[in-house]
Amino acid sequence: MSNPLSDLEKADVYFCIGTNMTECHPVAATRMKKALARGSKLIVADPRYIKLAEMADLYLPLRVGTDVPLLLAMAHVIVRENLIDHKFVEERTTGVDEYIEHVKKFTPEWASEITGVPAKDIEKAAILYGAADKASIYYTLGITEHICGVDNVQSLSNLALLTGHLGREGCGINPMRGQNNIQGAGDAGAAPNVYPGYQAVTKPEIREKFEKLYGRELDPERGITKVTALETSGNGIHAMLIDGENTLVSDPDRVHSEHALNSLDHLVVIDIFLTETAAMADVVLPATSWGETEGTLTNTERRIQRVRAAVTPPGESKPDWEILTMLANAMSIPGFEYDSPKEIFNEMCSVAPIYAGVDWDMVDGGQYQWPIPYKGHPGTPRLHEDGFTNGKAVFKVIGFRDPAETVDETYPVWLTTGRRLQSYHTHTQTGRASGIEYLVPEEYLEVHPDNVKKWGLKDGGWAKVVSRRGEIKIKVKSTSRSPRGTVFASFSFAETPVNILTGSGYDPNTHTAEMKVTVVRVEPL
Amino acid sequence: MVTMQGLRELPLVDSGVKKTRSVCGYCGVGCAVDILSKDDHIIGIQPAMDGPANLGALCVKGQFAYDYVHHPDRLTKPLVRREDGKLHETTWEEAIQVAADGFRNVSQKYGREAIYGVASGRTPTEADYLMQKFIRAGFGTHNIDNCSRA
Repeated sequence: MSNPLSDLEKADVYFCIGTNMTECHPVAATRMKKALARGSKLIVADPRYIKLAEMADLYLPLRVGTDVPLLLAMAHVIVRENLIDHKFVEERTTGVDEYIEHVKKFTPEWASEITGVPAKDIEKAAILYGAADKASIYYTLGITEHICGVDNVQSLSNLALLTGHLGREGCGINPMRGQNNIQGAGDAGAAPNVYPGYQAVTKPEIREKFEKLYGRELDPERGITKVTALETSGNGIHAMLIDGENTLVSDPDRVHSEHALNSLDHLVVIDIFLTETAAMADVVLPATSWGETEGTLTNTERRIQRVRAAVTPPGESKPDWEILTMLANAMSIPGFEYDSPKEIFNEMCSVAPIYAGVDWDMVDGGQYQWPIPYKGHPGTPRLHEDGFTNGKAVFKVIGFRDPAETVDETYPVWLTTGRRLQSYHTHTQTGRASGIEYLVPEEYLEVHPDNVKKWGLKDGGWAKVVSRRGEIKIKVKSTSRSPRGTVFASFSFAETPVNILTGSGYDPNTHTAEMKVTVVRVEPL
Repeated sequence: MVTMQGLRELPLVDSGVKKTRSVCGYCGVGCAVDILSKDDHIIGIQPAMDGPANLGALCVKGQFAYDYVHHPDRLTKPLVRREDGKLHETTWEEAIQVAADGFRNVSQKYGREAIYGVASGRTPTEADYLMQKFIRAGFGTHNIDNCSRA
């Protein structure tokens, strides 16, 4: 997120797109609700009539996968109404002329045809966002889990640049991270393109630095993404070490994932339970859980906080860092002489410039948000206040393209997936919490009442959902939260493996799967 | 049954209840919590009123979904797959040896590019740092990713 969570209480206008905030980031939503109670305005764009939509001043029910046309038309209106922040655009951006010429072609009426959102409402949204002094954008996977995920994000960035809604309190572009330490995993360099602290692996001076630190030659080119690794399992990739991920249930196209993991010569999984993925491993190493482990986490606003052990771990389970240290030592990999997580965190701070100003003892109170470039620096709650890291921000000319799959006679229904408030991800944890079992005992397919009738289904009855990759059996819930022609399910339940259906395509740049759009047919059972 | 109100009023020193400041283990908001434990068991979670991300708020998962920590399904010993095709409990020594030998064999047979690491979005950062270091320092490649793409 460009801005701190405290800014959720400070905007005049909120534009939430592709985020089910009240269910997936409930506490963040609570902070925004305070601002709404004081009179701030909320625009929600989402294919489903989620709880957040109920709270909205303006709801834009766009068809799945049509974010780019909506955002192009909003830019069109902002330009037409001259809601451009000319000073900001001139001082801090490049490429605006070409961008303005581009968006002139895309009227709200054009976008209305594609998105299904009334042109008048697109205009209203653009004016509300563009005319506000402090307007902020919040999004999550509804924006990124598309073959055009990068286009979607850049379209949002264009809007913020055009209106100067960046680098100030109550503004910004704010993706909300879905896992407690997904930010920290990226920060630590657990990615094929960057070393710790987002230092590009392709830069020779960075490579030389890490070659010295790690005592060996390092490849000058990027590695492959997990998506490519699973695609080339058995034909390029032959061994995997997976730490705390239930790949089989969380990833798209389950049949493909299962085949990929089966094709490996050697699979080692570190986890706290025998997940569906761990059950396929050659070696399973038992880790300590949350509540039993000392360490640091970095949250969605880049805040570094300490987690602490409250209870003794069961049996012989060990912290992940200790397991990895043992494994590295057994393979004679140098530089794994650690006795505590403190030593590891401090080493990371010494190699990642964004963490350079802190150490283990300093993050004890959780007051630092990176970048903290040197000791004595207070941290950076808000990004881009004094300028952009790479000089001027660039307007990107983006066009619309269809999702990887579009509805046809065989697969006439849009399926979109997501999460629910009471269950979490692949249910490894929440499935073993007694109260949660009571609240959401099973998965269900949300279908509009008119479709329930038309397709011969029954509320509470069973349906078969078929995609190009497979089929599942699932209970039906009649609800007008789903628009006509679009159904929804979460991927939490292994007994209802929705990810058998997904996996139509990936964003070519990020390799993020298009989880949000799959075409299916729904039949009564 | 102890209610939340009751927990707040509990005289912690005398009751043997220990309070440990931590951060919630679910979404990315990073709500600060106090883990309440007694006799080495977690018995409750309190939102931290001074938590910078949550200011005393907490959701249904963070507040109540913690008993998985003590669930009987927890793995307590390393497992290795033996010739019968099944996973069997073993010692750490053997499990680490089998894990290490497997990576070494694959590296020898197919080259160092044949090994891939997937780091977690749920572990502390130190584990993620070591996962990337294991791949980079161990094999010289960048065949490392985390679970943010799916």
